[in-house]
Amino acid sequence: MSASGIEVQQLSSGYAGAKVIREVSLATAPGEILAVLGKNGMGKSTLLKAMMGLLPRMGGSVRFAGREATRLPPYAVARLGVGYVAQEKALFQDLTVEENLRLAVRRTDFEVALAEVERAFPFLLQRLKQRAGTLSGGEQKMLLMARSLAVGGKVLLIDEITEGLQPSVIDRLAGVIRDARARHGTTMLLVEQHLPFALAVADRWAVLDRGEIADTGAAGEPDAAARILRHLSV
Amino acid sequence: MTESRRLGFILAAALLACAIVAAGPYLLDTYSVNVLTRSLLYAAVALTVDLLWGYLGILTFGQSVFFAIGAYAAGLVFTHLDFSNANAVLALGLGIGAALLTAAIVGWLAFWHGASALYASVITLVLPIVATQLLYSGGTFTGSSSGLSGFTSFDVSMEGWFWIAGFFLVAVTTGAFIFVKSDAGRLLVAVRENEQRCKYLGLDTSRLKIAVYLACAAIGAVAGYLYAGYSMVVAPELAGFVFGTELVIWTALGGRGTLLGPVFGALIVDYESAQLSGDYPFVWQLIIGIVFVLVIVAFPRGLLPMVVALPRRLLARARGPASPAGEMRLVRLDPTLTQGEAPGDGAALAVKDVAKHFGSLSVLSGIDFSARAGELVSLVGPNGAGKTTLMRCIADGSERSAGSIVVNGHDIGRRPPEACVALGVGRKFQMANVFETLTVAQCLQVARVRHARPSFWKRSRTLPLPEAALHVLATTGLDRQLGTPAHLLSHGMKQALELAMVLALEPRVLLLDEPTAGLTKTERMQIGGILTELTRRQGLCILLVEHDLDFVREISSRIIVLHQGRIVLDGSVEEVVNSELVRQVYAGSGHAGIAHSAQPIQTGAPA
Repeated sequence: MSASGIEVQQLSSGYAGAKVIREVSLATAPGEILAVLGKNGMGKSTLLKAMMGLLPRMGGSVRFAGREATRLPPYAVARLGVGYVAQEKALFQDLTVEENLRLAVRRTDFEVALAEVERAFPFLLQRLKQRAGTLSGGEQKMLLMARSLAVGGKVLLIDEITEGLQPSVIDRLAGVIRDARARHGTTMLLVEQHLPFALAVADRWAVLDRGEIADTGAAGEPDAAARILRHLSV
Repeated sequence: MTESRRLGFILAAALLACAIVAAGPYLLDTYSVNVLTRSLLYAAVALTVDLLWGYLGILTFGQSVFFAIGAYAAGLVFTHLDFSNANAVLALGLGIGAALLTAAIVGWLAFWHGASALYASVITLVLPIVATQLLYSGGTFTGSSSGLSGFTSFDVSMEGWFWIAGFFLVAVTTGAFIFVKSDAGRLLVAVRENEQRCKYLGLDTSRLKIAVYLACAAIGAVAGYLYAGYSMVVAPELAGFVFGTELVIWTALGGRGTLLGPVFGALIVDYESAQLSGDYPFVWQLIIGIVFVLVIVAFPRGLLPMVVALPRRLLARARGPASPAGEMRLVRLDPTLTQGEAPGDGAALAVKDVAKHFGSLSVLSGIDFSARAGELVSLVGPNGAGKTTLMRCIADGSERSAGSIVVNGHDIGRRPPEACVALGVGRKFQMANVFETLTVAQCLQVARVRHARPSFWKRSRTLPLPEAALHVLATTGLDRQLGTPAHLLSHGMKQALELAMVLALEPRVLLLDEPTAGLTKTERMQIGGILTELTRRQGLCILLVEHDLDFVREISSRIIVLHQGRIVLDGSVEEVVNSELVRQVYAGSGHAGIAHSAQPIQTGAPA
């Protein structure tokens, strides 16, 4: 394993004429989980999209597990072993649950992948033949998460996975994610609005404010929640 | 720029174009005048292709048919009845009438509720093939493959025809330009962008499409009529899909969605074709083909957007940063003028024994409840319990498999979404559902169309909105981003925008599917305050799906629990939140209790 997980240096990105994030720098150790929090519209999703190459990088650099990704298009970033759990619909709606899983894990053994899914989301195994588009909104979110976990990549970028999930599922999801990290050593960056969940799952946190990192800390510190809330409620 | 100055500017440009047309015959040689007369008429048809394809999103290969209908109306009448002024009027009337009739039939086939855009394109592709076959099989009546020629026509000089064709094109282009830039014209883009959202804002999109299609057919027929009058020849090729496809190519080359691009595309390509195809018949076709491929690859939006991009950028630099937000002003709608349905007596919403199944899979069964005006009923339940499906059944009469739904005393029957909106239903979708290329202000304007009939030629500078919608905009800061295109908004902002759009409908029964997903806790609580006020003060009936039990507890007057497609609990907030069942199947263990063990995840849907 390389000496680094995610390294983002001075990354800027946004849309034509409007920079949304400015010179953001972040780093994680391999296998570390970092939660990025922040108010709505502060550039959290933009950060993930720029890292994946879905939005133009307007300066700075991105490295995953020691490999340069600054100029790579999204498919090449994915081939470095970087998974992306998008916020808005990212499933093949007309394909079945099984086909969605098979497409994602085509280079791994499908049985192994199914075992991963069974460990975390057993209900999906009873739905393998169902069209993904007919799953409910929350179930689609879970399939999306299961698909990325089953791949067992080096790095996983997760955009607001808790949105639309029932509370009891959110409770368990934290354990599921930490369990997957423990077994695969996956480095994760998750963007969240759900503060208790973020602090339960992450090792460290960072707050993004108007496109810049405003504060960082360890999730275990007793004043973490209070410090983050101060940024979120301004 | 004020509204009258903007319109004055357009009219001045039209007058300038008229002056150029008037000067044309004095500057051009006879041959060019002759060829350009045809090109001017073709350009008018290309304009209709742009209206349909560039603005409304309907790729059509069949506009040639309407041109041919107009041309054959003149050809047939002048051949079989002889030319007279009365017959000339008759032929024009017949041409327009036949075009409208054909368009009505085709439009009805192509744009019925649920037909896809591809299906509409295929229909328009079939149309010229059928039309050509009919002309071929018409024997001496239609002249079969050689068409009709040698009939007497108007006694107008070649220059006269050039002026007629030119002024016609300028008039049609100016009219179309004013229309697409008007409040009503923006609806075309809204329909192209997100037809579903339009329907759920109460717009009958099929009718809108057919209306535009009819207008385009009439323009095509008049152009064809003029063509026959000036050339005194009509042939089946005029109806053919080769011509129909050429119109599409000219539109794409010039720049679709720009009106002027397709007009100039048609003029230049058709004129140059006539000039060069005589000398280099084969090479010319090849050149046109290569240019087309190059333009599509290099400038997918066509040539005009590229040509105007540079001067526009320089102009913008000279003027300094534009403030499109400044062009639109929000105003508070006078509450006495609100046009929503008055709250009726009895239940605002009555759901009786509703069931929904996909084949053998039962998603909802025996759903039975009613809600009064002024109630805020939260719908909770595990993921997959059928909450969104229930919302869909209330907002669209064709969704449920059994049972009945009564809104404000009216049974919704099998009514489509736009008719349910007319009964007072407003629905916010689970995934933010807005018009991505329109600005925040324009999205809200589209949402108001049901109440405020949009102008066909003016652009309004003020946007009257009901108070609740204004509240949502102010709370989330969207009121400072009125000029921002919706696709640049964050996920949470889109949710808020959609909520404001639905509130702008002034519904009596409001269906909200996770309205605050993606918003911060603070914003969420503020929106909650707005919703409770709506129920208390204005007597709205709100049905809300939410997962944040704290939020639900704060704002609801009643909670219904859905589990595996059935109602398992229906009671007061305290009853439900403290029930053992909810704790078991749904609720988390509280903030401190987020598990660190990897317990597997199940959902509440029937397996």
